[in-house]
Amino acid sequence: MLLDTQKRTEVKDVHKTVGENVAFERTRRITGYLVGTLDRFNNAKRAEERDRVKHGT
Amino acid sequence: METIIKRDGTPAPFDSSKILNAVNKANKAVGEEEMTSTDLLFVTEKICRTLEAGKLRHVEEIQDVVEEALIRYGYAKTAKAYILYRAEHTKIRNAESYLMDIYKKLTWSPALEEDIKRENANIDGDTAMGTMLRYGSEGSKFFIDNYILPKDASAAHISGDIHIHDKDFYMLTETCCQIDLLPLFKNGFSTGHGYLREPNSVESYSALACIAIQANQNEMHGGQSLPNFDFAMAQGVTKTYRQEYEKAFRAFLRIAGSMGRGRTPAVSLPARAFAGVELRMGMTEAPELFPEPEHASGRGSEWGDLLREAHAYASSEAPAVTDRRTYQAMEAFIHNLNTMNSRAGAQVPFSSINYGTDSSPEGRMVIDNLLRTTQAGLGNGETPIFPVQIFKVKAGVNFNPGDPNYDLFLSALKTSAKRLFPNFSFLDAPFNLPYYKPGDYNSEVAYMGCRTRVLGNMHDKSREVTCGRGNLSFTSVNLPRLGIEAGGSTDKFFSLLDDRIDLVFRQLLHRFKIQGAKKVRNYPFLMGQGIWLDSEKLGPDDRIDEVIRHGTLTIGFIGLAEALKALIGKHHGEDARAQELGLQIIGHMRKRADAESLKTGLNFTLIATPAEGLSGRFVTLDRKKYGELPGVTDREYYTNSFHVPVYFPVKAFRKIQLEAPYHALTNAGHITYVELDGDTSKNTQAFESVIRYMHEQGIGYGSVNHPLDRDPVCGYVGVINDVCPRCGRKEGEGVNVEVLDALRKIYPDVPVR
Repeated sequence: MLLDTQKRTEVKDVHKTVGENVAFERTRRITGYLVGTLDRFNNAKRAEERDRVKHGT
Repeated sequence: METIIKRDGTPAPFDSSKILNAVNKANKAVGEEEMTSTDLLFVTEKICRTLEAGKLRHVEEIQDVVEEALIRYGYAKTAKAYILYRAEHTKIRNAESYLMDIYKKLTWSPALEEDIKRENANIDGDTAMGTMLRYGSEGSKFFIDNYILPKDASAAHISGDIHIHDKDFYMLTETCCQIDLLPLFKNGFSTGHGYLREPNSVESYSALACIAIQANQNEMHGGQSLPNFDFAMAQGVTKTYRQEYEKAFRAFLRIAGSMGRGRTPAVSLPARAFAGVELRMGMTEAPELFPEPEHASGRGSEWGDLLREAHAYASSEAPAVTDRRTYQAMEAFIHNLNTMNSRAGAQVPFSSINYGTDSSPEGRMVIDNLLRTTQAGLGNGETPIFPVQIFKVKAGVNFNPGDPNYDLFLSALKTSAKRLFPNFSFLDAPFNLPYYKPGDYNSEVAYMGCRTRVLGNMHDKSREVTCGRGNLSFTSVNLPRLGIEAGGSTDKFFSLLDDRIDLVFRQLLHRFKIQGAKKVRNYPFLMGQGIWLDSEKLGPDDRIDEVIRHGTLTIGFIGLAEALKALIGKHHGEDARAQELGLQIIGHMRKRADAESLKTGLNFTLIATPAEGLSGRFVTLDRKKYGELPGVTDREYYTNSFHVPVYFPVKAFRKIQLEAPYHALTNAGHITYVELDGDTSKNTQAFESVIRYMHEQGIGYGSVNHPLDRDPVCGYVGVINDVCPRCGRKEGEGVNVEVLDALRKIYPDVPVR
């Protein structure tokens, strides 16, 4: 009986997903310090980060 | 008259005794023109009649009538006191409404909506203590503006001509300090809340390093740095190695004894057999252990053999165990600095560590393990954001093949290509090299994470050292505004610039006087424990003005690029003439700082300001004042210090060439960034070529930015565009748990939920 229940739960779990609404973390440098998420940047620094262009070597 | 109208428009019952009391108070404040109670009643009566006759009911109108009546009936001085009292209350009321508006925002708006709550990216403005810190900060700024600052400095700050950094701490403390842990640890220390014994293992060294950073951070308004991390931790490694060696040595003798060799010599080895005996990694000879145990007499050669075998065993066993323990100590250090609270829990300490030049086996072990644990990341593979790590590059020590720490330089490159840290400082830069003495960490330049540099010392030329010193305060000049106001005339620009510089120097000195009047007891750790240079010579009630002369008073600047645009239409990335003018401007600022230093004997220095909140503040004010000027005020930020604008396409090497000469001018700190594309950890060659070019061009402090993303669901670290390369989800999408389980079998760093 117990085994049956366990099996049913497992079968159900196959369709279970995790991570909905979880954002990617984007670590960036600001005035020398790293910041784990852009959310904490102030508006000016967000704009600056957005405008940064890459420098080819 | 039955009711009056209050300032907020609501009615309130009229009470003539309030008028009488106010007049009485003003009269008492004067001390002459004595009014008897009959006089008071008479004046009050007259005032009430005038109010009735004119049907005057508003508070402000009533106060006007009181003033007029006092003057009319010959109480001029009382009238004056009344007017002052009234003005003072208006000021307080304005203060209240201004401050209360800010407090309301801090209290009820989430940080995501309010810029004011994101002034500093490493403070969580949504937490209780983060908000408390902001309440204090805003209240303090108001107090400083209105009651402390010289009028011209306050006006220049408010209008955006200059920016007084950390103004909320104006009355309180200094910016930062480079902490030498070695003298601090010797014989133990007190944090002000308890006493700690001298640490005896690498784990304790790293733990107490965190405590020291935390304690000092709470007494200053900037960050804290360890300028000699490898040298300091190496002593902990030496002690740990000693423990492990002795343990293995005794274990060998014990086991050999139990197997019938040398008659249980373990028992005969006295408890203090190793006292005073030097035990270092890489020692080839067995230590001489005296006195030779009694049992062994007459069996000298067998005992000698046994000691040699025990040494061989201990020498092979102890380094591996010490290495493992060092790794764990470094791992704990980084975890602690990313999680420990400071300033009432509002943030983690702003910490920086400099390392790379200790080539002793112990120092190398520290650096190697620190880099390895940095690569591994935090608990779920997250990138550690503290401490800011700075690898000191020095030819002859670690820069070239054959240098003793060359392997560690390569490891630092690899680590930085994956984790953004370490940054790189260059001891060979022409302005850093003259201080350098081989093997003396106190002569090696160190940088604060934000870029601050403190090395030269005009106050005491014999103490041009790194440890125990830091910045006292700094104030920045809004260069773009000068460019706009000069209207194309460079002469006018320089004359305006000189006015600003004069003002900033006056203001820095004003602040220095306030700082100097503080006493050692105001800084129980920084000064009380002798961390600041020469503070160990002071008693708790001594003023600190003499010792803080070792610190720097610094002028900074923002937006050289926009200033050049405003002046001649091109910035220094676009045009050689602009670069020439840019160097003239910054060179002039440096000359002025040097001259002020010479005049005062204080360390006036020039910094390429690390502007976080300021980059937006200045441009917002200038756009309001001058409108949207193309290339000048048309973006949301001013370009940082002397940087070539972030939006301007330029090759990495060219950017380094353009910015390097400014490093030589900015003796209080500088940094150059290069932005590389893609996953640099898969192309460390490009990364290395950039760092080597920085060394060649005379950059003081530099760093490579590259995209570093992480998917918290599957733990992937690297570049993520739209789709996570590991688990295949887009931002916000879910992943099947079976898929995650399968991934976990391949990648052990998939987080468990």
